[in-house]
Amino acid sequence: MKKVLLAPIDPVHDIGLKMMARAIEDAGHQIRLLQPDLSPEEIIEQVIRYDADVLLVSRTLGYGVAEILARFIDLADASGLREQMKIGIGGMAIRPEFAAELGFDAGFGPGTQAAEVVCFIEGREYCQPLGKNSKTKTDMTVGYDYQIIHPGIAAKLGSITERLLHWLKGKTSPGVKRARIRHELWDVDRWRARQDMDMFTAEYSRECGDIPRKFFTEGELHPKTRRLTVNEVRNFETYLRSLSGRMPVKNLRHTRKKPLVFNQYGTGCPFMDIGHILASQAWGADGVIHFDPSWGARTEGFLEGFLTHQEDGTVITPANLNRIHSAIDPSTLWQVRAHRGLNTPETVVLAGKIGADLTKINICYGALGAGTDPERMTVDGYHSMLFARQYNLPFDVVTNEELAGVPAYKAFAGMLIVASLGVRIGARPILQPLFAYSPEAMLRGIMEDNYIDYNAAKVFALRAIMNAPVWPGAPIGFLTHTEDRIQSAMTTALHAALASSLNVDAISIASTDEAYSGGPITVPAKIDTLRAVAESFRFFGHAEIAPTQAANSMADELLSGIEVVLAEVESKGNFVDALLAGCLGSRSDGAYPGRTGKDTVSTEKL
Amino acid sequence: MVDPLGQVLDALDVETFFVCENEAEGRSYMLSLLKKWGFSDVDIVFAQHEGLGVRVRGRAYVYRPADRYQWLAPRETTP
Repeated sequence: MKKVLLAPIDPVHDIGLKMMARAIEDAGHQIRLLQPDLSPEEIIEQVIRYDADVLLVSRTLGYGVAEILARFIDLADASGLREQMKIGIGGMAIRPEFAAELGFDAGFGPGTQAAEVVCFIEGREYCQPLGKNSKTKTDMTVGYDYQIIHPGIAAKLGSITERLLHWLKGKTSPGVKRARIRHELWDVDRWRARQDMDMFTAEYSRECGDIPRKFFTEGELHPKTRRLTVNEVRNFETYLRSLSGRMPVKNLRHTRKKPLVFNQYGTGCPFMDIGHILASQAWGADGVIHFDPSWGARTEGFLEGFLTHQEDGTVITPANLNRIHSAIDPSTLWQVRAHRGLNTPETVVLAGKIGADLTKINICYGALGAGTDPERMTVDGYHSMLFARQYNLPFDVVTNEELAGVPAYKAFAGMLIVASLGVRIGARPILQPLFAYSPEAMLRGIMEDNYIDYNAAKVFALRAIMNAPVWPGAPIGFLTHTEDRIQSAMTTALHAALASSLNVDAISIASTDEAYSGGPITVPAKIDTLRAVAESFRFFGHAEIAPTQAANSMADELLSGIEVVLAEVESKGNFVDALLAGCLGSRSDGAYPGRTGKDTVSTEKL
Repeated sequence: MVDPLGQVLDALDVETFFVCENEAEGRSYMLSLLKKWGFSDVDIVFAQHEGLGVRVRGRAYVYRPADRYQWLAPRETTP
């Protein structure tokens, strides 16, 4: 037990010191806390009288701090106390470097933990707790039975799904064939052991487009990529090893269990990505989403090797995914997006084999907003869901076609058809409404008063239709962000608070660079929004944000609209025809049926 | 000693308030300042001018993806 004297060298402030005094006493030491506004001479006199082992002084006010503390330490020297006891200084005005310069034994600045001070008193080294065991992976689909509650919508979805399944029978594509080859011939353990994969490569390259075929036959790389060098890889491995054991995993959800917080990475460089992922984990992200380049979605087949890319989006290769996966903490969820292009089914297979937890599939967005031919996207999307079931990967069904201008009720009808098809074949879809200031909302002026009602209405409507997990995205607050980091962090935090209040299962958040298009997203910009979201969760706890009555009427309007759209799709008789006819988003809405992969669907001999 | 700039993971942001007549003037001050400090890959992330001056954030990318990063290399010291 040590005798500890605590003295504020400050006219008024001593709250921090009182909190420390309690913690020191709880740790079993004897304490005496002096009042504020004593002169250095009076404090020294008290120290001598008390015969303390340790003296802790504090200073909150910044003005005159250097002079008064220098005078104090001179007095302590002159009285011989410096030789007999440890003297620490803390408070809002204190920086550790400054304390050391003045001659204090320790300096405790803002954010100091009581345990640090106790360790100083007891002469022990302080080790920051990593909280490694405070998080475990959560399966957000648990507890949902996917029952369709709305009778009118249930009947229409049932009919559309059955017809779609009938249409899909026997249909295949180069993407489906590659996914099957990857599924059957590519053994991840053998690949990791660098064993011969010739049979896979020979079969696979035959189903690839020009870029991957040239890669396999001539070793030619995509012009925007380069191989990482052996030295770079070695250095990276060393760097990762040096990090192991000191990487914290933070929980930012405060007292609620939901929502899980995801952010995305995809700088182009797997090394830089891992830096982003590790920082995201350390600042509280529950999951990370792999973002690949747009050309990857328009290329038949994947490249191989440890490749870095000069532009936005990190190239999907087995080596890139494998290295990224191995650096992710076991408690962090990893989503690899498959949703929109010619490699959708194979992405699911590759992600599943390498160890992803989630994927992303939406036929309608891929066909209407991402440039893929509707027929091809429908066939590939269906097979992707079959693989997602097989690899135990829940997937979100994103409604990004809203960002092109498609009204929410049409995008939701499409999302529900895809989700319904997924449920029908035993997969686990997650509904992903956009929490966004969408073009529809702008044109109709339905968010002029607030950003709460329409976003809440979307969740109310979906919950009135299907008992399924809801994961607003992507990212929440889309089109409300500006380049100002304060505003950007604030709008993300408020949308996160709304999502939390609505008790949704997960959210995808942007960085504060969301609206900045001049260069790659930076790590500090990601930390900005994670910090802001954590603060919003701390602020609201279990308290809720109350939407106005308008949210209920907006939800009713969405439900009616969805039912009308589903009736139109049903009347078309064929889902692909409905996509082409604009039932789920028309050209005048801003949705254009894609052309990539046109005429590549074929019928297999059964 | 390790070059601290090389330990920047990606970019260096500088935020300040310039007393100036308009946004364009404030933006040019920031870009000039960053270039004067030796940065070449520079940009303005955000600027807002009101009345007496501009609140501005400039950015200098130390590394872009696919560069070779000092923070990954074994620690090398310079005398």
